[in-house]
Order: sequence, then structure tokens, then C-alpha cells
Amino acid sequence: MKAPSLGEFEELVLLIVASQHDSAYGVSILEGLEKQLNKKVNISAIHVALKRMEEKGFVKSRFGGITSDRGGRRKKFYVITAFGKQALDLQYDVRTELYKQIPKISFN
Amino acid sequence: MALPPKRALQFLRWFCREDYLEEVEGDLIEVFEKQHEQSPSKARKKFFWGVARHFRPEFMKALKIGQNSNSVIMTRHNLLLTYRNYRRNKVIFLINVLGLSTGLACSMLIYLWVMDELKMDKFHADDDRIFQVLEIFDEPIGLRVNETTSGQMALSLVEEMPEVEYATTVLTPVENITLSIPDKNLKANGQYVSKDYFNIFSYPVIEGHKDNIWSKSRSMMVSEDLALKLFGTTKDIIGESVAFNQEESYHISGVYEIPSSQSSFQFDFALSFEEFAPDQEWALSWGSTPAHAFVKLRSDADVHAFNEKIADYVQVKREKEKRFRTPFLAKYSDRYLYGKYENGVQSGGRISYVRLFSVIAIFILLIACINFMNLSTARATRKMKEVGIKKANGASRWSLIYQYLSESTIMTMLSLLVAVAIVWILLPQYNEITGKHLTLSLDLNLLTSVLIIVLLTGLLSGSYPALYLSGFNPLTMLKGKLVRATGETWARKGLVIFQFVMSIILITAVVVVYQQIEFVQNKRLGFEKENIIVFNREGITEKEDQLETFLLELKKLPGVVNASSTSHKLSGHSWGVYGFNWEGKDLDDNTHFELVAVYHDMLEILEMQMVEGRAFSRSFSTETSKAIFNQTAIQHMGLKDPIGKNITFWGKEYEIVGVARDFNFESLHAEVKPSMILLKPEYTDQFMVKIKPGKEQETINGIADFYAQYNPGFSLDYRFLDAEYQSQYVAEQRVASLSQYFAGLAILISCLGLFGLATFTAERRFKEIGIRKVLGAGTFRIIYLLTSDFTKMVLVAILIALPISYFVLHLWLTGFAFRVDLQWWSFAGTGLLAICIAWFTVSLQTSRAAQVNPVDCLKNE
Repeated sequence: MKAPSLGEFEELVLLIVASQHDSAYGVSILEGLEKQLNKKVNISAIHVALKRMEEKGFVKSRFGGITSDRGGRRKKFYVITAFGKQALDLQYDVRTELYKQIPKISFN
Repeated sequence: MALPPKRALQFLRWFCREDYLEEVEGDLIEVFEKQHEQSPSKARKKFFWGVARHFRPEFMKALKIGQNSNSVIMTRHNLLLTYRNYRRNKVIFLINVLGLSTGLACSMLIYLWVMDELKMDKFHADDDRIFQVLEIFDEPIGLRVNETTSGQMALSLVEEMPEVEYATTVLTPVENITLSIPDKNLKANGQYVSKDYFNIFSYPVIEGHKDNIWSKSRSMMVSEDLALKLFGTTKDIIGESVAFNQEESYHISGVYEIPSSQSSFQFDFALSFEEFAPDQEWALSWGSTPAHAFVKLRSDADVHAFNEKIADYVQVKREKEKRFRTPFLAKYSDRYLYGKYENGVQSGGRISYVRLFSVIAIFILLIACINFMNLSTARATRKMKEVGIKKANGASRWSLIYQYLSESTIMTMLSLLVAVAIVWILLPQYNEITGKHLTLSLDLNLLTSVLIIVLLTGLLSGSYPALYLSGFNPLTMLKGKLVRATGETWARKGLVIFQFVMSIILITAVVVVYQQIEFVQNKRLGFEKENIIVFNREGITEKEDQLETFLLELKKLPGVVNASSTSHKLSGHSWGVYGFNWEGKDLDDNTHFELVAVYHDMLEILEMQMVEGRAFSRSFSTETSKAIFNQTAIQHMGLKDPIGKNITFWGKEYEIVGVARDFNFESLHAEVKPSMILLKPEYTDQFMVKIKPGKEQETINGIADFYAQYNPGFSLDYRFLDAEYQSQYVAEQRVASLSQYFAGLAILISCLGLFGLATFTAERRFKEIGIRKVLGAGTFRIIYLLTSDFTKMVLVAILIALPISYFVLHLWLTGFAFRVDLQWWSFAGTGLLAICIAWFTVSLQTSRAAQVNPVDCLKNE
């Protein structure tokens, strides 16, 4: 079977999920992303990415407990799976490998 | 605490999947709350936007199939109920589906036929600009429309009238020509056409180039069929030469294709009219009318104005003072369906059959749909308890309506599938009967109309239980105390009566049509048409000095009774002439007389009877200047004591020697034409041979052998005279056989309905029957009880149907010059038949119900 692909935006979301290990949920990912990218992101884009990656098996999710925040709605926390980590590693290796092959170019 | 916009939240909850909703909602609210602290209006805007951005397939409810939503479960449940219901009542199910699908299949078959008829000849490009030049002849007996015109007509119209883009002359005297290539002989029919023929009629020219077909002399165009028959291929045959009647030869300049199923006009080859005409005075004279003329008008031309313009065209050309021939244009593609003229006015034609069948199709469809509705509504009253329980359990009215409507539409859809299968299976046989090449193609019109009809039937028949039953109080329903509305029974009775009215009309129509056709086929025509074979005078027999020898030899053959030659094939109009004088003739009288040129013995072969005078005889020497007329002709000329009087015809004097009893060579739609018989062997172009009955095939084989030897290079191609004559009635015969089938089906479907209703009534009155039997009622009493209702309905139907059918059939018969009288017994017979069939159908059910053991009906309560 062909390994499921990992889009650019999905990769970013996955990185954030991995870095906020076990405490990543919609809004925290949103904020993390906005801070890193320094631009506004819509929450729906994150939901779409999360649902897709969950389907592909890169992340898994669980509900948190009920609090008085958020109008009483539970948070849904996301954790990266081993498969997800593998996909990230692969992506990272490919990039560094390619990066290393760049000859030293002077831009003067 | 700030609350997010309510509307947006409602919308989100409406569309979002339940398993995603909490997360999405929570995240959106959290973002909203954080934003709200900075700018409330911006937060609201952003919330709306966020909800809108989630409105995509992944987050939507309904698109997730397999989800156990309520409506899915209910639909599945309803289907199961329908299935169980019908499994318990297999008979009703079969009647329902079979009745409706036969009805649908019938109407689809008729629809295909009607569409094909309407499409006939319409395939030519610019169909609306192609016209035929017809002429109205002003004769003392009335105006007559002539299909042919002068050979000059087309050529001068295109030269002198700017409105005409193309015109062509078509002459069709080249029938039964023996075509030969070195190792093959076959007979074919062709026509002479002038050069623009293929520019007007878009028969595709598949070999050769349209613009230089006639560039060389002695060219011929052949149809694809003929090319295949002659050469086995259509490729590389241009330039091949083909011998005509073993004499002159033509070379092939192109191949055209005739879409056989869409063209009413079929011809195997075409020759150049321009090449043929100059040698033939008659072909180009304005005085004779041997040719067909077709024109293609320019797109801006107005036909009515053009017709006015050419009204005196012939009069001017012939330099006459009085207008006798009035040419006018009629649309070419109309001539197939609207080919009949009466007194110069268009009066229908095949279109009447198209209309007839459309009516039949609607009748059958109505009968079938009514059946379906009747049975469904009748059955629905048994669902009372079911509806009651459902309502008591909290079913809403809408869900009940939905259930019943979907049930009935599913049934009609199922019938539609069965109907399509039936049509598919029957199509080959149907094509044989109708003589067409119909196919079941994906016709959008057919598809939509059938779907609409089916849906409508489904909705109508489902609407009764859906709308009526679902409105009742569940309590009364469960107690079974519901009083049935009388309107409902009346409606059902009315529908049954309506069904039978239509079936009875169809049956009487079939009976009378059949009688008329029998009548026509057995009517004495004034000549005997049995056991006579006809074949062409061709090859060596065309030589004048060979005629007598050939006939003498022919008569010697075993089985041959007599033989002679004639110019008239006696199956339809052949050669009309005018311009002769008799004593006391009105000079303006230009009535056409049918000219029958014969050789000796012809009148004897046909057993024509002489009312006065004598037939031609070999014992007189000057017979070629004698003439015989039929009674109608003598009457028309107003001659008393005609024998011995002289007439002049084409500048020659003839003496009348005999008056023949009227004979009818045209189909019996037409009155007898005035006719003149002359002894002119040079005009005769076919032989008629009377043979002994009983050994026809042997005799014909003998003639064929003799013919092949006597007339080398030709083979005997014979027709039977009676079959030739019958071929004028092909349309009627097809209509007759088709309408028999359809009428049979109509009554069958009606009976299915009746049977279903009888079953239903017997079942409902099960207990009543039991009690009556216990109290001493006999079997017949019970049968009477159950049958009388139906009998009354059928009687009412008969009373309504018979006057209608009498009226309609009377109208149909006026189209025939010779017709059967409408007999009272054919109507009474049909009525009786209808009652008998109804009784038989009902008794199948009632007799069983009447014999039931009362204990069985009464033991459970």
C-alpha cells in the first residue's frame, strides 16, 4: 500500500500536535500556528487537517473532561501516533538530505 | 459572559455531523470568547465566517451514508411492510404489476410506432423547404388532386421563379428492369431524375461526387442495396457498366443510401431525365402529366404567396382561355401522412391511423392506471388497523403519507421495469406486424412522459390511503367502526364503468374494421382476380410480331388456361387520358378517363361482363378502331344507345362496340372511374396468364422454364393479381391486425381489474357469506349476490359505449366508397361478449367464495 501523503499544512499541524504533546486541541493548535507563521488562520482549516490526518492514522484523539469554559463543551485532544511520527521523520530526512545537496552558492 | 450569535450556532448544529459537533462548536466558541474581549463585533463576524467555513462535505450529516438516521430506518421498514403485504396477497400483486405493465408496454409500443410514422420522410435537410408540385384538376365531377404534373414543370419553375432554389423532375416508368453484369441478372425498380435531385433530397451519396454524377452520358446512380446485390460491395464500382434488359448499358457514377426505415420512397437506381426526355415528346409536353416535380424554395420564400403566383402557370403555358389545371405546392414530408384529398381539399390520410392508435394507446393506459388505482384503494381499506396502530404509537400524518405514497410509486416503477422488458421482448414480432424497424432507444421524450405517467399513477393511487386514511381518529379505526363514505364506492364503480366503456368501444371497433376488410377483400370487383399471374413484357416479347407467337406458345403449356397482354395492372390508377370527343360533349369537360389497352382474350381472362354489345373478337378485322367503355363512362358521356356511336380520340375515330359492367381497379376507398378499353397491343406492357387452380406451383414452374428459354437473359418475375390488388390495403390490414391485439389486451387488463375487485369484495364479505349460508342461502344465491353488482356496472358501460362506438365507426366508414352496413348484431354481440367475459372473470372468484364452509368464516372473531 502506498503511504498516505502528508500535505504542507497538514505537516505543520502535525508538528504542532507533536510538540504540544497530549495537550493539543483545536484552539491551542490554532494559536501555536498563528504564532509560528505570524499570520491569521481559520479554525476550520485546522479541523479539516486534523480530521484528514486522523483518517490517515497520523493522529488519534480523545475527549477531555467537562469544564465551565467554552460554554461547557469538552475539548478534543490530539496525540501523534507512531505512524505519524514516522511520516514526520521521513519528511524531515528527505528535506535535510535535499538541503545538504545544495552546493555553496554565493549570492553577491 | 458573551454569547455567540444564535443563528450561526443553529445553522452549525443543523448541518454538522454529531460526532464532530461538540469539538467544532467548542473550538469556535473558545475562539469567539477570546476575540470578544478585544472587539465584540469582529468576534461575531469571525464566528459567522468560521461556521460558514465548516460548511463542507466532510462535516455534513446527510452525506454520511449508512448512518442509522430515522428516515432511513423508516423507509427500510416501509419497504419490508410492502414486501410482506404483497407476499401475503400474491394474486393482487400479480394483477397489479401485470395489469399496469402490460398497459404501459402497449402504450410504449404504440408510441414507438406513432413516432416512427411522424418521422417518416423528415430526415431530408431543410425538410420545411422541400415541396411537391401537385395539380388540382377542375373536372365536372369535382376537383381532383393529381400527384403528377408535366415534365417541364420543375425545369421552368426553377428558371422563371426566383423563389425556387432547386427543382427536379422525377419520372418513374422504369419498373422491373432486368439489370445484368457479366455473371448476374436481377430485377430492379428505378426512376429518371433531373440533375438537382440529390441537392433537394439528402439521400447520402456514399460513392462518387454529388456535383458530377451526371457529367458523363449514360450514367446511373445505384442504391447501396442494389450495389451490394450486384457487386457485393460499394467500393470501386464507379465506372462499371450494367446492361438494361440485355440491350443498352449504363455505367455507374455513384452510390447513394436510402435510410429504408425513414423514407417512404424507395428506388434502386436513378437515371438522367435530361438524357431521356428529348427523345420523348410526352415527357416534356405541357399537355401531359407524367412526372413528379419537387422543388426546394429559398428560405425567405412564402409558400402561400408562391401558390397564388403559380395558380395560372399551366394555363399560361398552354395558352388556354379557361383554367383547368391549378398547380400548387404541398410539403413533401406531409405526403406520407396527409396524402388524401377530397374535392381538392386535404382530407387526412395515414394520419387518421396515427390518431386512431394514439387514442387506443391513451385508452389502454387509462384502463391500466385505473386498474391499479382501483385495486390499491380497495386494498387500502384493509390497512385501517395498521394505520390505527401506527397512529396510536405516535406516527405522524406525514410519515404515513410518505409511507403509502412511496409504496405505490415503488410498485409503479416496478411495473415500468417489467413493461420495458416486455417491449424489448416483443419488439421483433411487433416489427414484423407493423413492417417497421423500430428499436427501443433512449428517447428523452418517451422517458420523461413515461416517468411522468408512472409517477402520476403511483401518486394518484397512493394518495387515497395516504391522504384519506391517515386523517382519521385512531380510536375509531381500531374499533373498526369507520363508516365508509359512499363517494368512495361510487368513484370506484365509476372507474370500472369507464374502463369497460373503453374496452367495449375498442372491441366493437375491431369487429367492424374486420368486417369492412373482409367485405373489401371479397367484394366482386367487376373482374375476376383469382389464379391470374402478372409479369412484365420485356426482351424479345416486346417486339410486336412476337406477341402473338409468344402467347400461342404460352397457352400450349400445361395448366395455362388463357394468356394475354394489357397496359393496366388493375391494382390502382395507371393511365388517365383526356381530350377525346363524343356526340354532345361539353367542350370544357376535361374529365380523365382511365385508359385500358388490351390484346385479344384479355376481357375473357378477367371475366368482365358486357352489359351491352360485345367484347373484342378475332373474327372481326378492324378491331383496333373499336372501343369499349364501362357503365360509368357511358353515363358520364350521357350517351343513349351507345353501341355503334363514334368517338374521336387523339385524332382518330373509334366505334363503340360494347359497354362493360363497372369494374373497380382502385382500392374501394374510391368510386368507380370512367374507363375506356381499346385493343392496342402496342401499348400493352404486361402479361396476364390465367392458370388452373390446384396446381399453381407446377404450372408456374413450367412457365418459368419456358420463359427462360424463349426470352434468354430474362427470368420470370411474376405476381399474383389478387395479391397485387390486396397490397392496396396493406395499411388497413396492419391496422386491423394491430387493433385486434390491442383490443384483446384492453379487455384483458379490464378483466384483471375486475378479477381483483371481485377477489377483494368476496374477501370483505366473507363473514356475510358465512352467516347467509348458515341461514340457508344456496350457492347460486350467493353467486348472484356477488355478481349482480358487477353485472350492473357492465350493463351501464354497455349502454354508454354502444352509441359512442356506433357514432365513431359510422364516421370511419364514410371514408370508404364501398362499405359494410353497421349491423345491430355486431353491437349486441359485443355487449353480450363483454357481459360474458365479466361474468366469467367474476365467477372464478365468487364460485369459490360461495362454496366456502361457513364454519371457516365464522370460527374466529
